[in-house]
Order: sequence, then structure tokens, then C-alpha cells
Amino acid sequence: MRLTQLTRLNPHPPITWLLSAVAWLGLGLVLGLPLLGLLPVVSIGLNPIGWQMLWSDPQTLPALKLSLFSALSSTSLALVLACSLVFLFYPSKVWQRLQQQLPIFLALPHAAFAIGLVFLLAPSGWLVRLIAPLAAWTEPPLWTTTQDPYALSLSLALSLKETWFLFWVLTGLLNQQWLLKQTWVAQSLGYGLWQTGWQILFPQLLSRLAWPLLAVFAYGLSVVDMALILGPSTPPTLAVLAWQWFADPDPNQQLKAHSLALLLMLLLVLGAILAYALYQLLHFSLAHPQGKRQGIRRFGFLKFVLRYTLTLPFWLVLMLILLWSLAETWFFPHRLPAELSLQAWQQARFEPLYQSLLIGVGSVGLALPLSLIWLEWGSRQPAWLYLPLIIPALPFTAAQYQVALTLKLDGSLLAVIWSHLAWVLPYMLLMLTGAYRNLDERFMLTAKTLGYSHWQSCWSIKWRLLLRPILAACAVGFAVSVAQYLPTVFVGGGRIATVTTEAVSLSAGGHRPSLAVQALLQALLPLLGFALSLSLSQWYGRRHPGLN
Amino acid sequence: MLSIQQLRIQQQQRLLIENLSLQVAAGEIVTLMGASGVGKSTLLNWLIGALSPAFTASGQCYLNQKQIDHLPTEQRQIGILFQDDLLFPHLSVGGNLAFALPAHVKGKARKQKLEAVLEQAGLSGFYPRDPSTLSGGQRARVSVLRALLAQPRALLLDEPFARLDAELRQQFRSFVFEEITKLNIPALLVTHDLADRPAQGRLLRL
Repeated sequence: MRLTQLTRLNPHPPITWLLSAVAWLGLGLVLGLPLLGLLPVVSIGLNPIGWQMLWSDPQTLPALKLSLFSALSSTSLALVLACSLVFLFYPSKVWQRLQQQLPIFLALPHAAFAIGLVFLLAPSGWLVRLIAPLAAWTEPPLWTTTQDPYALSLSLALSLKETWFLFWVLTGLLNQQWLLKQTWVAQSLGYGLWQTGWQILFPQLLSRLAWPLLAVFAYGLSVVDMALILGPSTPPTLAVLAWQWFADPDPNQQLKAHSLALLLMLLLVLGAILAYALYQLLHFSLAHPQGKRQGIRRFGFLKFVLRYTLTLPFWLVLMLILLWSLAETWFFPHRLPAELSLQAWQQARFEPLYQSLLIGVGSVGLALPLSLIWLEWGSRQPAWLYLPLIIPALPFTAAQYQVALTLKLDGSLLAVIWSHLAWVLPYMLLMLTGAYRNLDERFMLTAKTLGYSHWQSCWSIKWRLLLRPILAACAVGFAVSVAQYLPTVFVGGGRIATVTTEAVSLSAGGHRPSLAVQALLQALLPLLGFALSLSLSQWYGRRHPGLN
Repeated sequence: MLSIQQLRIQQQQRLLIENLSLQVAAGEIVTLMGASGVGKSTLLNWLIGALSPAFTASGQCYLNQKQIDHLPTEQRQIGILFQDDLLFPHLSVGGNLAFALPAHVKGKARKQKLEAVLEQAGLSGFYPRDPSTLSGGQRARVSVLRALLAQPRALLLDEPFARLDAELRQQFRSFVFEEITKLNIPALLVTHDLADRPAQGRLLRL
């Protein structure tokens, strides 16, 4: 400790000042500018005329109900499902299986997942085809499954996807030995898996899940791509409504859009307050345990159902997207395509793929050095770094658009990369911070006592020791960029087409094979990113077995 | 009586414990010693049914003539104390104890019983306190009370004295041993310090 303090007392050489300035400048450009851009968005949004028009619009109230329902239900369902997975399977062989599949579930973009769910759940979808012969259907039944007026399919899709996001956060928390030992203690006191989970683990995990849960809720409130594909259309959810009004040149609609963006932020705050109240209530209700132990319960059936309802949809979705992209003809009620061909692939547009690749590599290429410089020479982690993850995407993207417009950069590739950085950078920082903190400080100290400068020690010691978390952060950053919809269409001014925007716009049309091609490309890009990162990481690990 | 028969534990190819048979009578405290990594904690984990999936084990365990090695942790009625007190941080001292107290003690009697237990342990008035406001010795005592309130049929001690300083250690040790004698249950103590072994207690080296 004392040695660390001594090195801190050294006068900073100019290079340190320079790097520190770079870190602040970079973060200011990426996050500070849009946060500043929020000010005009908010001030326009405060205009009472806008609010009056908003309330008198017949779509507002039903859209509000839909948004609240889908965001609240998906967040709470995802929380319950993710915790149930943890309580029932941690630590077991199944747990390891789930962990192995996790990167695939995480990397699959929301839009591709939603498109695959349409292929699966629509009245002409695969599930209905599965039972069609039994019911002797020759035409799709006249049901409404996807795009249902209650946003049920949207909520279901969000819940499935966010369950794995929360599961991923939970696995990070569960690495702590004392939590595992606490479960042993509770079990040795006579409580089963389920009770131990909800009474002992849940309240403790919940306090650490606060931010991720808020992020999930904000995502549910402001998701546009998934809502366009799976959500209702008359009226749509609030986020889609706001997006349509923002895109409308009519100044009145613009005004309404701004008020609506503000309303989304307000809902987020209300949601957070509600969640906090529930959390306090939970603590209060658990404060005086009555000592009731539930009898013998094996949960075999529950485990089976939970495991497969949460994993199978993802595999089915991937399979269906692949099959549709290769289908020449696939009429109802056939379970498999009658003929396969590469026609859709031959006619496919590949420019969106190149654009996505370019934007993804560009944003990771900028975010990585910036994160490393920030972690080393920036200040301590201020909370505002993570604001883009919890502010609803809509006011935030609108603010980015304002900034791009002012700088006359809207519609340029550079501006789109810049807009993606607002999400790529916080996620990469989040991934790197833990690894950074866990690294033994004495490695750097040793290098310095051997006469190397701070910069040299970082380059030849620290960042090499951290290569594996760095690779993982790059894969996550790339996946985050590929999946971005709103900033791409907004800041890109509709001129930049990526696999995501292309898949979403094709989802409105009727040609399933070409939609499937873009959806598959959208899914494959991040998956390949993860595969590349993982294999590089394993190769590095084999060369240096000492790196745990 | 706690009885282990022909226990064998291995981790992939590595054999940790081979052909271990041990009987601990009611009220007896058997001390287990051995170098780090020899499998002492693994043995305790096997006894409570929390062996990590990385290990495979064969052998039987009986508690008061009843075979328990196939039962889940919560049905074995074996209590455990670790080096860390592992008090649940989201519950008060009283809440931690109430979690262990069986449900047949109902209503107001629950709090009365727990306050009496705390008083006997020299912790009167600690019921509403948050565990983080307690000293290390006080926390250790609460964790023992918690383990014993569940009325275990056997108690395992995984280096529970290691974190305490010399003077506290002496006091706490006799407190634990007295409680075990009072309950008249078999106990297994894992330690690195020969001084932890109770007088005339059996010693087993792994």
C-alpha cells in the first residue's frame, strides 16, 4: 500500500497529462455531447402545448398501457426466471451447460430473435405447422399471435431475451465464495434449494441487480425494433409512437414526440421508485422468519420445464431463420421447406453487412483504446458513464441527432459510429472494470521497479495480462454495435443501412426468405465476433497456462 | 452417533480420500488435521451433501443409524460452522436466529426464546442489531447460536476459530465445546492448530 502511495506522489510526467486529457476529451465527445444535447430535447419536451396535444391524442393512453405492461411484465418475469435458473441449477452440471450456451443467447440480436419468433409463433409459423396435421388445417388459423393487441408476444420475447442478460449478470455475482457458503449454511439449517434461493440469496442479489434491472426496464420501455416486429400496431407502444412522430416533418408531431420522450424518462423514474418500494417491502416481509421449512421437493419437473422453455426458443429461432433463408417454397402446412435453394442469398443485398461490419469494427476500434486509457489515466468511475444504459434510448438518440445536426454530420458513417459509441463504450468499460480491479497491482509495481515507465509497463505487462477480458469486451462491444437500431436510423438519417435496419424494414414486407437472409446475417455477425474472441482467448490461454 | 464408512473421494484422476472409516459418538469432538489441500473441507462438504460437481465420492454415512449420504443437505440435520461467520447480512441478529429456529415455536414465544438464548450467550439486547455492527467475537457467537438453534443431530466445524485472536479464541472455543456437550451430539472439528483440540479428544490426521 505504502509503495502505491509513493508512486502516486511522483510528479506526473507530461505524457500522463496528455493521456488523461485524451480520456476526458473522448468521453466528453461520446457521452458529454449527447447529454448536453438532451437539454434542448427536454426543454422542448416541457412545452405545455406539446403535453396538451399528447393527452388529447387518442393513441397516447392505450400506448401508455401497452408500454407499461410490456416493460413491467418483461422486467419482472425476466428477474423471476433468471433467479429461478440460478436457484435450481447453481452449481450443477446443467449450470455449466447453460453457461456454455450463454454467449449465443446474449449475442443473438433482439431484432433477429424477434423475426425468428415470428417464424415460430405466427399463425402460419412452425408451432402451428407442428400441430396442423392433427387438427387437419390446410390454412393458417385466423388467430392473432405475434403483433397481438395486448403486446403479449412482445413481452414474452423481451422476457426470454432479458432473462439471459440478468443470468449473465448473476453469474458474475455468484463467483463469490461466501454466497455459495451461505446457501450451504441455510440448507444445513433445513431449508431446501427453493427456499434458500428466495429467502437468502434473492434479497442479497437484488441490491446488486438494481442497475441491471433498471437497464432492462429502460430497454423494455424504449425498444423500437422488436416492437415494430412483434408489437401491436394500432396503437403501437409509446416508443414506436414517439419514433414515428420524431420522423414526421410536421412540427406539431415533433412537439408531441418531444413530450413523449420526456414521458418515457418520467416512467423510468416512476418505475425505479416503485421497484425501490417493493424492495423495501420485501425486506420488511423477510425480517422475521417464521422458521417454516417446506417438505421434500425435488423440482424435477419444474427444472425440466424451466431449462427447455428458456433455451429451446433460441435454438428453434436460429434453425427457422436458417431454413427460411434457404427455402425456395415453403407453403403452409409443411413442416419443412419443399425445396431448398440459394436464390435468396444470391439476390440478397450485402452492403448492409459491410456497413455493419465497418461500423462495428470502427466503434470497437475507438472504444477499446479509449476505455483502456480511461481506466488507466482517467478519474475514478463516475456514474454518468453508464447513463446511456439506463436512459430510455429515445430521448437519448434524439439528443444525439440534435448534436449531429448541429455539426452537420447527420447521415454520415462517422456520426453513426459516434452514436453507437454511447452504448459500446459503457458496456466495454463495464466488462473491463472488474478485470482491471482484480488484477494484482504488484505486477505493475514490479515492472516499474525494474525501470519501465508507466506506459511501457501497461503495454508490455498489464494489457497482456488482461488480454482475455479485453477480447471478451471487444466481442460484447461489437455485438452491441451490430444490434443498434434507433441511433442508426436516427443519426444515419435513414441513409445508412445496416443488417439491423435492413432486417427491421424487410420484416414489414412479405418475402420471408430475403428477410431471413438479413436476420441470419444480423445474428451471425455477433456470433462470429464471439467465436473469434473465444478462440483467440483460448489460443492465448494455451500459450500461457499460468493465466488462469 | 455419526458414522462414515469406506469413504473414497476423487477429483478426476487425483485421489483425495481413500477408505476412510470413522465413528464419532454423541457428545464427542473428533479433531481432524492435515496439510492444506488434503481434502478436509471436501470431506465436510461431502458430509453435508454439498460436494462440488468436480468431485466424485463413494461410501456411506450414517447419523444415528440412519443412512443420510443420499439425502439433500436440508434433510441431513447436520449443522456447519465455517471460518467466516456467514451471518446473512440482510437480516438482523434476531432475524438470523429466527431463520434457524424451528417453526413449532410460534408467535411471541419465538422472540422470547431467542432473547433468552442471546442473554445466555452474553449478548442480551442484540436482537434488533445489524450483524455488521457487531465485533468479530460477537458475530462468531451468533453464528454458533444460529447453527445450534436448528437442533442439528451433528455439528461440523471448518476452522471456526482461525479468524479470532488468541484471547478471544480461548473463550470462544470453550463456549462452542460447552454448547456441543450440552446438546450431546457428535462433532467433527477441522483445524490447523493443535491447541484447538479439546482435552482428551481424539485426533485424526488426514
